[in-house]
Amino acid sequence: MSLFSLLNGLTFAALLFIVASGFTLIFGLLRIVNLAHGALYLFGGLVGYSAAAATGSFLAGIAAGMGAAALLGVALDRGLLRFVRGFELRQVLLTLGVAFVLNDLALVIWGGDTLTVPMPEALQGAMEIGPVFYPKYRLFVLGLGIFVFAGLWFLLHRTRLGALIRAGVDDPETIEAMGVDIRRVFLGTFMLGAALAGLGGVIGGAFLTLYPSADSEILVFSLAVVIIGGRGSLVGAGVGALLVGLLNSFGQVLFPELAYFAIFGPMALLLAFRPLGLFGKAA
Amino acid sequence: MLEVKDLHSYYGQAHVLQGASLTVGASEVVALLGRNGMGKTSLIRSVMGLSSPQVRGGAVTWKERSLLAMKPHQIARARIGYVPQGRRLFPSLTVTEHLTVLKSPDVTHGWTVERAFELFPRLAERRQHRGSQLSGGERQMLAVARALMIDPELILMDEPSEGLAPVMVQHLESIIAELKAQGLAILLVEQNLYSALAVADRVVVLESGKTVFEAKAGSFAPDTLTHYLGVH
Repeated sequence: MSLFSLLNGLTFAALLFIVASGFTLIFGLLRIVNLAHGALYLFGGLVGYSAAAATGSFLAGIAAGMGAAALLGVALDRGLLRFVRGFELRQVLLTLGVAFVLNDLALVIWGGDTLTVPMPEALQGAMEIGPVFYPKYRLFVLGLGIFVFAGLWFLLHRTRLGALIRAGVDDPETIEAMGVDIRRVFLGTFMLGAALAGLGGVIGGAFLTLYPSADSEILVFSLAVVIIGGRGSLVGAGVGALLVGLLNSFGQVLFPELAYFAIFGPMALLLAFRPLGLFGKAA
Repeated sequence: MLEVKDLHSYYGQAHVLQGASLTVGASEVVALLGRNGMGKTSLIRSVMGLSSPQVRGGAVTWKERSLLAMKPHQIARARIGYVPQGRRLFPSLTVTEHLTVLKSPDVTHGWTVERAFELFPRLAERRQHRGSQLSGGERQMLAVARALMIDPELILMDEPSEGLAPVMVQHLESIIAELKAQGLAILLVEQNLYSALAVADRVVVLESGKTVFEAKAGSFAPDTLTHYLGVH
């Protein structure tokens, strides 16, 4: 029972990390609280659902979901956010508006039914882990979360592009004055962050299903992860996702009526003592 | 090479540069002097194309091209290096990354990462340290080394001696002399007249955003500038 809850918490944390890592990349580098991130999750998931259903390939679904979210990210950044650069409140309101528009658009295209991304046969069924049988697919999600963490960590800390992104997070004006077109780096980061939301949508859509309010639910969880972990911190997103995932899982079992409080109570307490989150740095 | 002519810049409504002019020739070290708040940093930032202050009049030309419509990264790629006031190193980057982020370690011509480490052996010993773990002098060396990575023909140095111990100021002067000997032009913002005179070919003084004095170093008695610079 408790091992089952632990695994549930860990696998949900892995999904949360995938989504929240994209959120924190965009938040950290572009200083944009992208409230459309949940909508990108839902939209990417739905596009992935259609692609997977049409082709019968889960991988095609992932590619389509990530691609669609990345394209939406470009359109959002180049088409809308460029007009409100530097105005935080306007950015927040703009992305919130986009979230509503995308949510309605999804309702028009896919209807209000609950949809499940078809998972590949190899990942169906359960496997035995000690005393419990656990769904293979959720273990795959856990593995993917770890893989995404490792991949992002390598990108950020072992490549030149990653060093550019970190320099851009630290001081965009100075890196630009050193001859770097930081706008292009920003756009690439925005695309990557959006694609991660799309990836989360397809992956999550196969075990949590996709429904009209899935976008705001995942957004709230992602916000909690990023606020706990600290803006722009990959390790923070990882630790935050683990905390939120486990609190959610055990909270649902131990005090189901208070499951949300089990997450947001500790978050409020943490913020009282560390306003920038566990790994956050002052701007 | 660089010509700033009758430049007018604003921070919002504040008219910070009110007709500043200066020129920097090839391999020339020009010291830009003036008391605090007289517009030295504003002039450097205006040349570099940074978003504030806003330039609303005058001309900045570099090798017969106007820099005014260009973005900072384009100005840097036109081979103008920048050492910002207060160093502005990247706290998340190691010493080596400060250099490799701007230039691939594979590049073998111009200012390579290794050549920068030869010029600043102290930095080579601290390759894996972060900017925040360096001493004030080492930070300034790193800020200069970083500016070299774009292979500049001109470097704008905004108060590089600020906050440095006297022995480090002397070291900095020798570095500036070395860079000049290698053919670089330098526009050096200084508060200290004597430090400036130790390295500069020419001196330009700003007061209230205007150029009020310009002369070859050595062609005037330093005391004549006391009026503009206050007591040193």
